[in-house]
Amino acid sequence: MADSEFLFNVDHGYLEGLCRGFRSGILTQGDYLNLVQCETLEDLKLHLQSTDYGTFLQNEPSPLQVATIDDKLREKLVIEFQHLRNHSLAPLSQFLDYITYSYMIDNIILLITGTLHQRAISELLPKCHPLGSFEQMASISIASTPAELYNAVLVDTPLAPFFVECISEQDMDEMNIEIIRNTLYKAYLESFYNFCQNIGGATAEVMGQILRFEADRRAFIITINSFGTELSKDDRAKLYPRCGQLYPDGLVKLAKADDYDQVQNVAQYYGEYRNIFDNVGNGPSEKTLEDRFFEHEVKLNVLAFQQQFHFGVFYGWLKLKEQESRNVVWIAECIAQRNRGKIDNYVPIF
Amino acid sequence: MPSASVSIFRSEEMTLAQLYLQADAAYNCVSALGELGAVHFRDLNPDINAFQRKFVSEVRRCEDVERQIRFLMKEMQKANVVPDKCTEIPSAPLPQELFQMQTQFMKYETDLKQINNNYETLARHELELQELDVVLCMAQTFFNDVRITPQSVAMAEIVEEAVDDLDEGTALINIHFICGTIRNDHKFAFEKLLWRVCLANAFVRISEQDYLVEDPKSGESIWKSTFIIFFQGDRLRKRIEKICDGMTATLYPCPDDANKRQVMIQGLATRLEDVRQVLKQSKDHQVNLLTEISHSVEEWFIKIRKMKAIFHTLNLFNVDVTQKCLIAECWCPVFQLADIQNALQRGSERSQSSVPSILHRIRTEESPPTYHRTNKFTTAFQSIVDAYGVADYQEVNPALYTVITFPFLFAVMFGDCGHGLLMFLFAVWLIYREKKFMKESNGEMFDTIFNGRYVILLMGAFAIYTGLIYNDVMSKSLNIFGTGWIFPKDLYSAEVINNTKQIAMPPDKTFSGSPYPFGVDPIWQLALNKLTFLNSFKMKLSVILGITHMLFGVILSLFNHVYFKNRVNIVMVFIPEVIFLLSIFGYLVIMIFYKWCIVTTFSERKPSLLITLINMVLSIGTVKKDQQLYTGQAGVQVFLVVLAVICVPWMLLGKPLYLYYRHKHVYKRSGNYSLINDNTAINDDDPLLDEQPSEEAAEPIGNEFEFGEIFINNAIHTIEYVLGCISNTASYLRLWALSLAHAELSEVLWNMEISKIINLKIGHAGAFVLFGAFAGWAGSTVAILLVMEGLSAFLHALRLHWVEFQNKFYSGMGYLFQPFTLDVEEWEDEN
Repeated sequence: MADSEFLFNVDHGYLEGLCRGFRSGILTQGDYLNLVQCETLEDLKLHLQSTDYGTFLQNEPSPLQVATIDDKLREKLVIEFQHLRNHSLAPLSQFLDYITYSYMIDNIILLITGTLHQRAISELLPKCHPLGSFEQMASISIASTPAELYNAVLVDTPLAPFFVECISEQDMDEMNIEIIRNTLYKAYLESFYNFCQNIGGATAEVMGQILRFEADRRAFIITINSFGTELSKDDRAKLYPRCGQLYPDGLVKLAKADDYDQVQNVAQYYGEYRNIFDNVGNGPSEKTLEDRFFEHEVKLNVLAFQQQFHFGVFYGWLKLKEQESRNVVWIAECIAQRNRGKIDNYVPIF
Repeated sequence: MPSASVSIFRSEEMTLAQLYLQADAAYNCVSALGELGAVHFRDLNPDINAFQRKFVSEVRRCEDVERQIRFLMKEMQKANVVPDKCTEIPSAPLPQELFQMQTQFMKYETDLKQINNNYETLARHELELQELDVVLCMAQTFFNDVRITPQSVAMAEIVEEAVDDLDEGTALINIHFICGTIRNDHKFAFEKLLWRVCLANAFVRISEQDYLVEDPKSGESIWKSTFIIFFQGDRLRKRIEKICDGMTATLYPCPDDANKRQVMIQGLATRLEDVRQVLKQSKDHQVNLLTEISHSVEEWFIKIRKMKAIFHTLNLFNVDVTQKCLIAECWCPVFQLADIQNALQRGSERSQSSVPSILHRIRTEESPPTYHRTNKFTTAFQSIVDAYGVADYQEVNPALYTVITFPFLFAVMFGDCGHGLLMFLFAVWLIYREKKFMKESNGEMFDTIFNGRYVILLMGAFAIYTGLIYNDVMSKSLNIFGTGWIFPKDLYSAEVINNTKQIAMPPDKTFSGSPYPFGVDPIWQLALNKLTFLNSFKMKLSVILGITHMLFGVILSLFNHVYFKNRVNIVMVFIPEVIFLLSIFGYLVIMIFYKWCIVTTFSERKPSLLITLINMVLSIGTVKKDQQLYTGQAGVQVFLVVLAVICVPWMLLGKPLYLYYRHKHVYKRSGNYSLINDNTAINDDDPLLDEQPSEEAAEPIGNEFEFGEIFINNAIHTIEYVLGCISNTASYLRLWALSLAHAELSEVLWNMEISKIINLKIGHAGAFVLFGAFAGWAGSTVAILLVMEGLSAFLHALRLHWVEFQNKFYSGMGYLFQPFTLDVEEWEDEN
């Protein structure tokens, strides 16, 4: 759809510009070098004041808590995202909504798990991500089976179509919740992927790359986490999102995998994944697989900014900002706990 | 040394100074310096992070107090307590006061928070009682309504039955009900969810009447609705309660019995009354505290900000090894040295320090910042120049000349008495209301215009002047002195004059011999060949003005060379530049004047100056007979062209070759370079050094002498100048073009909107039409001619100054002097 690129700026140009402006505010390597030198959280606050975060902590009384920093970082991000969402037109508004669905899934799972462990709903609600909040969210606790959950709560939410596959499950226990989460996520990813492909143009290209990686990452992680659990191989295969590069051959092989080495063997067939699985370890100087995946994700998201006239920048910006929040919180946590040994384990962005 | 009086011509003489401040006096000294606003501190620890500096904890404490003050101000806003404006700007407090401030505001903050908490609890209690009241009333009316109005729906019947049962206390089946309140915007989702969960087993009624409550925590107003739900069985009760919990609905106990409800409602009224009484007292208490704070809060806010600024500045300083004093480096204007010394003394006295703070001038190779003292008149002109680039230290400041040349060149393009007068009056109004407008900001657009009010004033005045010369008042002419053209009786018969539309006026018969004394003769306004005449006049005028302007620029470069003692540049750059410009373009100007004086309509030869200039270069040494302006023209022109051509290699090679020669010479003489460097190093130690920049320092003599680089730089400059002379002269033709466009536009507006109406011949009705047409004409005159044309002429004048004029002498690579100031008004300007 080449014409959509000609007319892109009419509808979405302002927001794209805004988004690129937000991107310029992302902390650079130089900022991180300064941040890791901080002795106390007050120092951290002082340095963040000279960045794009500005005065976001200025009304917080000392002493600062890491949780406060986390909350404020998230609050700022959410305000910015809501601003973009409120000014967007279709199909960008739909695209942005799609992004929030993943947070909704996380929230639902969080609430179900919390209810399972007999936590009060008022205690759980503040822990939910504000981007994924929806009206009926608080009533999830009434559901005791997936079918009930669907009929009572989810049927009115945009997640309803994703949930259809889960209804058959019997009880809500730890295992089933994990299965529900992954099934939901799988349906969501596939739907999001198709949505982006239908938009076409650079969006399809950029988002395709990002979402394919996301799908494959989930497939890998599901496989690795399933070792030593009751999950049967057939059930496991059902959880793999089928929109990544691994589909179909890689997924078939993953479905048969019995241990970590076999997973690594599957990754060997794919250039970029081979690099990720290389040099992975649990030693202090080595990076974990999770971090390697994050690094690759950051790389893809940064690349999204290399093209113009597409929606990928919004997704990329949000994910980069989230990574940045994780980094800042990580550094803050290391400072607060006086454990500087691992302070350099953040994922640099620029 | 220039005296202080020439400060607008060159920037202030600055000096780098080192301050040795006793640790205990440093704060007060910086405070005194800040109030003076005359020193520009340099950051001596650029490599140290913000949070590793010495006074970072003080800065942090200031920020904490600032936060507390902001909190208090926010509370005041909430409670509608207006803080008192502080009449007198307080000076920065003593550092010891910080601790006191901190404890004081800490106390205020905790007090207020406690009051707020109490208030919130009370308010919540009140809210609950109030809601309970509403719910009970709702339930009461609901039960009554059910009985009075029979409902057709089956469910309603069941409910009716149940209600009756409940009232009689003989409930057979276990039908229960609960009631409560819910936020209005959650109403529909709530209803839907209840339906989905309970299917048809619950009967929900949500009241149509919403009521407004205040959220005790945030103070926002929220619309709420009451609801009542009937259901069967305990399982359903649990689920419904969960839903209510999830939707943040509040449940209230409601007795089954109608009489009990009535009693409860009556009891509530007194309880509510009590709570409200307490609530009011609590509120009064809060307002009292806030009012107490409000008297001085603004003052403290300024104080704490000043304090923070001082600690920030102290962070720029070095600590000496003994930890006893702080060392600061700053730029300061020489003429204010005495003031600075005084301020330091005041600071030391204030902190009762035994050892005085020392100011010590140091010699540096670094270029000092540029500081032009301006007043409200010159500021705007200075900012026109600064917008292009801040002047190098002590180079000629074009702003001085811009004061006149800028409005003048603008007026050449905007020449119209009427428009100029309107613009002038507008500026006069701005200046008359100056004090009022200064006080508040009126939006970015207006402030921009307001800041340029003196520029606009001069632009208007000059436009009146040029308008008189062009004899143009909104496309009409003024016949003040009487035209110099007459109709001799014998030339045309009366019949011819009355019946012909156009009449030729041969100058030999109709010109009276005495020209119009000032400006263009008004008769040209009627002439068919008006444009031809004015074009030729304005074109030549722009060339003359342009070349004069450029020549002036080149001459200003001489002032720079002389001031910086740069003899090479005078001989190798300035002289050939002047000769080149004069020999070709100066000659053109002379020819223009010559032709004006000598050549008339009746002259045999009327040579075109343009062709003459082209042929002067293209066919050297020959002048066609009919193109000859004066005898001996060919010879003069050959001489001038040769002169100009010689100037080119002179400019191109002279300077690099000379520098190369001198480089060799010096090299031989001194043997090696480290010796020279040692010499300067020794000089540096002498505190009483003469500040005169020496010729050596001005020349690029260093360890590396790059002939290629100097040559290329010089070549670029030469090519730019030579080509620039031609293209810049052409560029000045915009003066003519814009002035033409302005005159034409104003004529079109007149003809289309006024003349047409006047010529309509529709009797008295014409007056009304004209009334409307005038409004149209006046509107478009202001919008198009004054605003748009004015803006365009302004931009072109700007360009002529920045490019054509300033590139002849102005380097503009300096940086501004930014003194540390504690002036609150200036802070607000920056924000």
